[in-house]
Amino acid sequence: MTVTLVSVLFVSAALTAIGAFIAAWKRELTAALCGLPVMFAGAGTAFVGVARFGAASGAPLLGQEMAVLLAVAALSAVALGVGLAGRESPR
Amino acid sequence: MDSLHAIGFYVSAALAGAGGILTAFLGGHWRRGLALALTGLGVAGIYASLSAGFAAVVVLICFVAAGALVAKPDYRSVEQAAGAVWRQLGAVGAALLFIGLAYAAFRGQLAHAIFYGGPFGAVSVGRLLFAHDGVATDAIGGLVLVALVGAALAWRRERPRDERETRR
Repeated sequence: MTVTLVSVLFVSAALTAIGAFIAAWKRELTAALCGLPVMFAGAGTAFVGVARFGAASGAPLLGQEMAVLLAVAALSAVALGVGLAGRESPR
Repeated sequence: MDSLHAIGFYVSAALAGAGGILTAFLGGHWRRGLALALTGLGVAGIYASLSAGFAAVVVLICFVAAGALVAKPDYRSVEQAAGAVWRQLGAVGAALLFIGLAYAAFRGQLAHAIFYGGPFGAVSVGRLLFAHDGVATDAIGGLVLVALVGAALAWRRERPRDERETRR
């Protein structure tokens, strides 16, 4: 049993598609927002996989750096979205 | 990559996929937040098995925080205006996206290189973040600041009307 770049990209594609499915399927706005970090995690998985298996030259850990930045960006997007959704209506 | 790492990768991938599907189909704030945290655990396991320990720790913290935000019980639910047909079209689009990406992964002529980094890589990633790509890190930091300020302003609640009138 081994792991190749193809299997990492396959998992990344699955995570991205699941995130897109959550964003499209859920009727409630905050529930649809849950798809955003899953999609970003799919993209981050592809970056980490390429950094692990395919980065022949340049900075080999650039993909890991991108995954970190994507995770932080996804968290800030969820915080803003939940904050806006949780805002009480004017009385 | 040895068998132990490979088993860890596939188990973590299954965990992340199951968590994502549970996030899609479970109802209720608490369950949804828990499923999101489960997805984060799986993604962190994937990263750790790919020798990206630092990214795994960061992504686990981010997913648990996102799950805690989603599990917050007192936010208002906002229904989207899109009808059932558009939601189903979106679901079909997600399936097509998966098929396209999986096809590209199988058919792509992918290079293979030997990895010389360590299992955690905090020093190397930190050097990249703060020395090599400082502008990108600053941009993400600015984005986080704007999002947190916006979320704090949006979360600020108005005092109830009877309490305001009592204070007058």
